[in-house]
Amino acid sequence: MPQTATDASSDALKRVNRQVSATRGSFSRNVNIPLLVAAVLLIAYGALVIWSASLTMPEASFPRHLLGIGLGAVLGVLCWRTDLRGLSNITTPLLILDVIVIFSPYIPGLSYNAMGMTGWIQIPFIGLTFQPVELAKIITVFVMAAYGAQYNGHIETVRDYVKICGMLAIPFCAIILAGDLGSGLVVFFSGAIIIMMSGPKKEWVLSTIAIIIGLVALLLAADSVVDRLLGHDVLLKQYQINRLLVFIDPTADTSGSGYNLMQSLIAVGSGGFFGKGIGAATQAGEGFLPEAHTDFVFALLSEEFGFAGALVLLALFALLIFSAIRVAFRSSSLYLKLVAVGVVGIWMFQLLENVGMCIGLMPITGIPLPFISFGSSSMLMQMANVGIVQSIWRLRSKTA
Amino acid sequence: MDAQIVVVIAGVILVFVIIASLVVLRTNGGRFTFDTQNGTRPRATEGEGSTPGVTFKGRFTMLAIGAGSIFAAIIARLWSMQMVSSDYYEDLAVQNQTRTVTTPAPRGRILDRNGRPLVTNRASLTVAAYRDMADNTIVVRHLSNVLGMPYVAVRRNIQDYNQGAQSLHTIATDVRRSTVAHIQEHPVDFAGVEVVERTERVYPEGDLAAHVLGYTGTITQEQLEGQSEDGTDAGAIHYESGDIVGQAGVEIQYESLLQGIRGEQTVQVDASGNVTDATAAIPPEPGSDIKLTLDIDIQRACEEGLDRALEVAHQFGFTNAKCGACVCLDCTNGDILGMASAPTFDPSVFIGGVSNDDWAMLNSEDGGYPMINRSIAGEYMSASTIKPLSALAALEYDIFTDTQSTVCEGWWTGMGESNGRWCYNHSGHGTINLQYGLTMSCDVVFYEIGKGFYDSEKNPEGLQEVFRRWGLGEATGVDLPGEGVGRVPDAAWKNEYFSSWDDADRTWNPGDMCNIVIGQGDILVTPLQMACVYAGIANGGKEFTPHILLSALSRDGVGDAVTYEPRERLTGEFRKDSDLELVKNGLIGVIYDESPSQAAHFTNLDVTVAGKTGTGEKSGQDDYGWFVAYAPADDPKYVIASVIEQGGFGSNSALYAVRTVLGSIYDSPDTASVTMGESQ
Repeated sequence: MPQTATDASSDALKRVNRQVSATRGSFSRNVNIPLLVAAVLLIAYGALVIWSASLTMPEASFPRHLLGIGLGAVLGVLCWRTDLRGLSNITTPLLILDVIVIFSPYIPGLSYNAMGMTGWIQIPFIGLTFQPVELAKIITVFVMAAYGAQYNGHIETVRDYVKICGMLAIPFCAIILAGDLGSGLVVFFSGAIIIMMSGPKKEWVLSTIAIIIGLVALLLAADSVVDRLLGHDVLLKQYQINRLLVFIDPTADTSGSGYNLMQSLIAVGSGGFFGKGIGAATQAGEGFLPEAHTDFVFALLSEEFGFAGALVLLALFALLIFSAIRVAFRSSSLYLKLVAVGVVGIWMFQLLENVGMCIGLMPITGIPLPFISFGSSSMLMQMANVGIVQSIWRLRSKTA
Repeated sequence: MDAQIVVVIAGVILVFVIIASLVVLRTNGGRFTFDTQNGTRPRATEGEGSTPGVTFKGRFTMLAIGAGSIFAAIIARLWSMQMVSSDYYEDLAVQNQTRTVTTPAPRGRILDRNGRPLVTNRASLTVAAYRDMADNTIVVRHLSNVLGMPYVAVRRNIQDYNQGAQSLHTIATDVRRSTVAHIQEHPVDFAGVEVVERTERVYPEGDLAAHVLGYTGTITQEQLEGQSEDGTDAGAIHYESGDIVGQAGVEIQYESLLQGIRGEQTVQVDASGNVTDATAAIPPEPGSDIKLTLDIDIQRACEEGLDRALEVAHQFGFTNAKCGACVCLDCTNGDILGMASAPTFDPSVFIGGVSNDDWAMLNSEDGGYPMINRSIAGEYMSASTIKPLSALAALEYDIFTDTQSTVCEGWWTGMGESNGRWCYNHSGHGTINLQYGLTMSCDVVFYEIGKGFYDSEKNPEGLQEVFRRWGLGEATGVDLPGEGVGRVPDAAWKNEYFSSWDDADRTWNPGDMCNIVIGQGDILVTPLQMACVYAGIANGGKEFTPHILLSALSRDGVGDAVTYEPRERLTGEFRKDSDLELVKNGLIGVIYDESPSQAAHFTNLDVTVAGKTGTGEKSGQDDYGWFVAYAPADDPKYVIASVIEQGGFGSNSALYAVRTVLGSIYDSPDTASVTMGESQ
């Protein structure tokens, strides 16, 4: 298996490099090599998948994907070279910026609504389009890490705990209000991990989880009642409820909401062990699989490369995530530690949600698979995330 | 293969575990910078404020475990989908890409015996939808706009309860191509609307022979469910919801010949339904054209004859006359040359689904139940047209011999003065023998016969036995649906039928016998049965099964695939030829000797005609007029039977129908003036 070899060799490389770095300030001192290798291989893998998608789908433009990677690389290097610790002092402006970014698609002159898409802005004069929610995810991480770092690893009072939870509620509710439940959950998940890593008491966390479960149940129960009382869809949108229902039984409605899920399951399942080969995916190639290059890219990958290909992808993600956890662990700055944890949270949740929805483990939401999905906004911000984690590695020692 | 995979999977999972544990183990290796740089571990969690505590180790372990469990869940699910169930999903993927496209096969045409079309086809673009779409007001409104139909009409057609609940309901037929294109280009606006290319029935002769031809309609739910039980044999036509099938008459009788076999093709499609590749196709096989024994000219004459008979009946003041039947047989082989029933209906109202209003009208008493084919389903008392059989029975059992005679005084007291009965001719026929009694339809002669049978010790039911022997009381076996059986009453029947009455009232008595011997009372026959009886008389006792199918043309159009062979149904045996001669002569006498006004209708024909009038008496209604005839009398070929409900005397109503048909056959129209006859 190639990835086993890669892991072994990169591990060996790491060990050698670490010894070298002990004597000379070298590359591995400033760059976490396993993380870099994982990110580069993931991006290469994604490029391969998008290239194969571009063979049958004109909307999956391979040059645009490469452009995204190029811009992302620049952004990543910039982040790497930046000392981000300064951001912990401008928390309030960052929070305001975060909310502005989230609502920017509603600002006249910026909003860009083509082909029924929402949540996009068009940067004036340049004409580039961008999904600001991708940027909002990482800003939220910086904000939450700054709040979490105030407590030195131990949140002592309930008041502080409620306060930091309330801080997370601001960007979360803003994203939900802006109409993007999927990204809202990403922010919520990564924010929640930052809070938990900031050291609240276990009882508080457990009670919070219990309260959230109760609230969600109440919301589901109250939704239909409120809708009927007010006469229109208010709380949960009907398509969201449908997605939840078909998640429970994908065959219930194979023409409407269940169609996407069923086609995705067929794509993944029919891939078998070695897959159907590059460009030979019938589900994606003939258009049965919707959004094969974006939200359902994992289904496309699984159909083309099978179980083996999916394992390679998961191994690379495992290397990425565990390396990033190690970077967080090694950082001497609590603030940067929490920022890295937040990035890990983003990756973990997006992987779980995106892959999970393709295989029927999670309800369908529209969030991309990091490094793989077509879409420059996501690619740019994910590569920036890599740069941020590398920057944290570079500045891991207390004295830096 | 499986073992190999297990090893690979195990290896990969191991790699994940190693990666995860490396992170955790490293912390145990003393590389935790916070500790080493401080030199000492914080003693307690609430220790030095500026230094994050050792508790981070536990937190990061939890984080790593959380990440690991995400990977484990995904891999477990992928394993079950891609390794365990991949065959299932592969089948689904293949199903996704293949569609079976069916092309409807045109239905066979229906021709008359000379190959002139009675029913043909034409292609029609049809817009249809399932019933639940009626609730979608937006789509219905869109449809009403593009089809140019009122909203209410569109909705009504979608909801039409005469079409099966699960079948496609026709909204509009003969839709313009541009309209169809518009609908197909806007699948979202017209969700649930389907465009179907159907072949539709065309009736070049209008409502001619509507009862025989029947009509077609969308297959009903019962028919769909019914076929699954007997549809086991290979090559049988398999119906689908929305198919057009025969629903009455020849259309349903010969459904298996007329129905074509749908063409099938398996095609590869993409998600939008565009065909990317096609495999071998089975072309549709059109249904067979069938030839009926009907002759369009004679059929038309039957229908015009009925109209004329009804018209004449109205002239004589029988304004209740609305219904009747007229059937023309070839007595040498049983071919049905013409078969008419009044009132009639237009089979084209069934094209594309009959509306509720039309359906109600077609099944209403006020409309005279126009869908009933009275020639085969109408059961009437035979009246005097039964007398030839009564005479044959009398001769056979020596109840009334050919030399015997009796005196008719107009009032018969054979069963005692209190039970006296009138001959229809109240002034009496005088001394009269059997043949003349038949000619004059003298009731007294036949009362004597009826009483004679009743009194006979050896053959008290000889009369009914003869009736049955000639085919009454049982179906003729005509190849049309809905044939009536009729009834030949006897003692057992009466006892059974009136079981709720006193024993005395349901005993078979001489009066019953005297009723049925002249065709009154409880006897019931269909016009087709009487035509068959007279065909038998004309044909020396031999009756052929009446039939409507002449041949089925082979599907390639060359030659006949199926040809009907005349089948002898029964032989109405009689004692000796002279008995039949007597009856035949009596029937010729009816035409030429009974009354001058009656004879006047026939004298201009080149052929000799034999026949019999009849007048059925039904309490509370006007009399039912009968006329049955065959011609030429010396070499019989055509038998025509007609009945006019509430048309008065047979000679004043049904006779005109029969005469019209004869006029058409021999190209010799009736020139006699319409005068009130008095023969019964």
